[in-house]
Amino acid sequence: MIRNNLKIFLLTPVITSLSIQPFATAQSQETLFIGAIPDQNPEKLNRLYNLLSNELNKQLKVPVKYVKVTNYPAAVTAFRTGSLDLVWFGGLTGVQARLQKPGSKVIAQRNIDKKFRSVFIANTRSRLQPIKNQAGLKALKGKRFTFGSESSTSGRLMPQFYLQQSGVLIKDFAGKRAGFSGSHDATLALVQSGSYEVGALNEQVWKVNILRKRVNESRVKVIWRTPPYADYHWLAQPNLDKRFGKGFTSSLQKALLSFNKQSKSQEKILELFGAEKFIPADVKQYKAIEKIGRQLGKIK
Amino acid sequence: MLELTGVRVLGISTDRLKNVELSVGNGEKIALLGPSGAGKTTLISVANGSLKPHEGNVLWHGKDLSRISSRHRAAIGTLWQELRLIEELNVSQNVNAGALGRHNLIWAIRNLMGLIDSKESLTCLEAAGLNKEMIDLPIKELSGGQRQRVAIARLFRQRAQLLLADEPISNLDPNLSNKILKLLIGKENDITIQIPESVIISLHRPDLIRYFTRIIGIKKGEIIFDLPTEKVNSSEISWLYK
Amino acid sequence: MRKIQFSPPLLTLLPGLTLLPVLFIFLKGIHNGGLSIFSSFIEASFHPALDAIVLGSSWRGLRVTIATALVSWSISTFIGLILGIFSSSIFWKTFNAPSWAASITRRILAIPRSIHEILWGLLLLQGFGLSPWVAVVAIVIPYSSLVARVLSNQLDALDHRALIAINQIGAKPFPGLITALGPPIIPIIASYSGYRLECALRSATLLGIFGLGGIGTDLQLTFQSLEFNEMWTGLWMLGLVMFSLELVLSWCRKNLYRITKKYQFSFILIPLTLTFTTFCFFWLKESEIGAITNFEWHNLSLPTLVEIESAFKELPLLTLIGSTLILTFLSAGIAIGIPPLGLMLFPSRLEVNIQSIIWGILRLIPPPLSSLLLLLFSNPSFVVAAIALGLHNIGIMGRLLKEGIDNQTDRKWHAMKATGAGPSASWLYGYMSSQSPSYLAYASYRTDVLLRETAVVGLIGGTGLGWQLIESLSSFNWAEVTVLIILYSSITLVGESISDYLSQFWMSYTTKKSTASHSFF
Repeated sequence: MIRNNLKIFLLTPVITSLSIQPFATAQSQETLFIGAIPDQNPEKLNRLYNLLSNELNKQLKVPVKYVKVTNYPAAVTAFRTGSLDLVWFGGLTGVQARLQKPGSKVIAQRNIDKKFRSVFIANTRSRLQPIKNQAGLKALKGKRFTFGSESSTSGRLMPQFYLQQSGVLIKDFAGKRAGFSGSHDATLALVQSGSYEVGALNEQVWKVNILRKRVNESRVKVIWRTPPYADYHWLAQPNLDKRFGKGFTSSLQKALLSFNKQSKSQEKILELFGAEKFIPADVKQYKAIEKIGRQLGKIK
Repeated sequence: MLELTGVRVLGISTDRLKNVELSVGNGEKIALLGPSGAGKTTLISVANGSLKPHEGNVLWHGKDLSRISSRHRAAIGTLWQELRLIEELNVSQNVNAGALGRHNLIWAIRNLMGLIDSKESLTCLEAAGLNKEMIDLPIKELSGGQRQRVAIARLFRQRAQLLLADEPISNLDPNLSNKILKLLIGKENDITIQIPESVIISLHRPDLIRYFTRIIGIKKGEIIFDLPTEKVNSSEISWLYK
Repeated sequence: MRKIQFSPPLLTLLPGLTLLPVLFIFLKGIHNGGLSIFSSFIEASFHPALDAIVLGSSWRGLRVTIATALVSWSISTFIGLILGIFSSSIFWKTFNAPSWAASITRRILAIPRSIHEILWGLLLLQGFGLSPWVAVVAIVIPYSSLVARVLSNQLDALDHRALIAINQIGAKPFPGLITALGPPIIPIIASYSGYRLECALRSATLLGIFGLGGIGTDLQLTFQSLEFNEMWTGLWMLGLVMFSLELVLSWCRKNLYRITKKYQFSFILIPLTLTFTTFCFFWLKESEIGAITNFEWHNLSLPTLVEIESAFKELPLLTLIGSTLILTFLSAGIAIGIPPLGLMLFPSRLEVNIQSIIWGILRLIPPPLSSLLLLLFSNPSFVVAAIALGLHNIGIMGRLLKEGIDNQTDRKWHAMKATGAGPSASWLYGYMSSQSPSYLAYASYRTDVLLRETAVVGLIGGTGLGWQLIESLSSFNWAEVTVLIILYSSITLVGESISDYLSQFWMSYTTKKSTASHSFF
């Protein structure tokens, strides 16, 4: 009896591994996998990207699937390993991804991304006054300061860059360090609560929260807007033409650029993206981000 | 001082105690005789309040035992059959545990740190016939007889008025048995501390009843006889064990 | 004044002293600014979002987490059992191999578990890209090694006389080993692997929080965007699964002896588990709709020696090690000290039940979330990270302590009550004293676990090796990653040997055999 059971016990994994084979080879149809860095709440991202998948599927006639990615470096890695074909990256993550996957193509950005900004917000109890020029950032020395996610362009990289430019280093903050709240919303919440006196976040997120009345303006206010810089963009794999047919990359680009408010579904997509429209993006505008990324050690 | 009326404790198939009436007065030295399984341990548990009877009352100086404060319960001391010493602590900490009823939690924690003055526990230890040097030994290193004496020292430290002892000599050799019994009943000569005025000791060896003033025979959960020692004769005892 | 003695029950209370500095720093920075957010967090727990999209997405996430936990658990148990046999001294002795063979195997096997599954997950993610199998492998690597450690320790601790007798009558080594040591070890394996399943569920959730999919991911993203109603949907669903699993397993532990007495049954259990795993395997494949399920290595540009050397010089290694250790000790103090303190001060049945419920909630909320929540109330400091980590582990320590106490007799407690001692003192002397050696043994094991777990909260406090590692990973700085991984795993290896030593000391403190659920940690 025991002997028999032992046989079953030894055989099961063998049977298991055999039965996996046919399943593993079942996938053959080329699918366009799209993804995005997780800078918003997942429910919204789900809605947004399912709409987008349908729209692209309609226009490009290939199956499109949205893959949920859950942290910034994971999105970069997924792009490098070819798990994702088209990704909505931030400035820094886009540069990281392009450097790790030479030949990938920047194909579009939103109208607002050419001149994107971060805002520095302060809790009113910190008694910080609005800062007139960049040199005024020195006033933040000794304050409790938080960034958003550690790989965020608008929540970390650019704010840290401007701080550094005006002579404020991380070790100048209270406790000799800055916090990393993990997201723009969390930065807002933590500064509003007073746990951190100052924080930096994406201006778009700030505006959306004002509109949704989630900001208590007697508690937290903007003290400085950064100068504009280029941020989010669509990045596509270099091999799309090979896989989906000649000219696929450019038709993909055309499709994105053609989105307008005449079509109901496209309007919804643009609205969820917080954009008027998509515009062509130029690789050159991210040179500055790359330089800053290297300077701050976020790009090797 | 202690009064049990109509006490009944249910068991799985039969009653562990039924209709027990018992009254203990000042200075009484009572032997509880009976075969194993007769209900001696149950009776002792009911008498010290750790087991609440299903029927009947237990009164301590006229008050319901389950209602009186823990501080007053300290007046009833128990020597358990398995001793219930705390193996993880040393001798002095175990002896001091007897005084927990008179002290607060801070004192209890200080005792765990070994910061309680050892004078009192030493006196009790000596009264229980143990060597002074043993005070810092862990319980694990003691022999059976020594453990028994530590448990008795703990009891002395408690300053109980009434002592309940459950088979205190069942695992001891005859010579030691005599000594321990004398100690519990207060017939040891050189005792300098306050010892319980009244005792109830359960035994299964009828030959030792000469130390007691009153004998209670118990069988199958019922009290069979309850007599002064001089009136107990051998036929009653042999009937008890039949 | 007499010298202070450190009796075992006292030692279980002493870690609670860390509360003093921790609360001092925490309360110094406390404010009510986060009150409105916190109240909406609490309020949301009564009104989880119930619309179809959120429910559907949470359910999909939960499926992935459960499947990940089950698959990784059964694979790691299987591998762990084999490795455990190979790393036990008795195995090598049976084959007349020199005893160093076992100790070398053990040392090598300690390496995989020196790195927390989160870090394995993040590392594997870099090499293999997005795949549900990354999470599975990330759990399997350290878990196999943990199971192997426990099994080999248990095998060597068994009474070997039966084996010697069997070998004397000329049995072949391997069948002899199975016949003599199989029956006594099976209940231990069954009990321990049940515990590992609970751990696997927690790990799978945590991996999700760090971006590897499943319910953890939903929790993290909804929490970060402050969509508490949506977050609670996921959290309650996870709670339901977690608590039912705990109930089932604790029933099994209680009736373990009766179940495993039927030796045959154990053997049926193994193919049953494997079949179930196979099912989960496909379930996991199925659940990750749209995800890419292949699992292949994508080359990384490995750092050169020169780069590693410069990373070694540039990183503030001493500060990182120091803050990691402080974080470990503070959180361990909280996690170890509070359950006995709480039970001692509030020992009535009702109070104990309330504490059990609180522990349950603490186990449910993963530390990265609770640290962000605490941060709404207090100024940022490493203490917040320590409290978050400590709170989660209070939930684990508390349950274990209560289980231990429930399984022991209440005779000493009655004896203490009968001396007139108050409820707290009776609890401390009557219950906690007998429980203290095994609790301390488990506590030293838990401290070792916490050393690895500091990686999961470092982010908020911005301190420790774990945080620096995540930062270096997000910068794709492989030289720094290499240095940090080597450093981190050497520290945890040292930590493990210290904790092993302490744990063994406390296990052997009482001569009595402690209850089965405790003996193997």
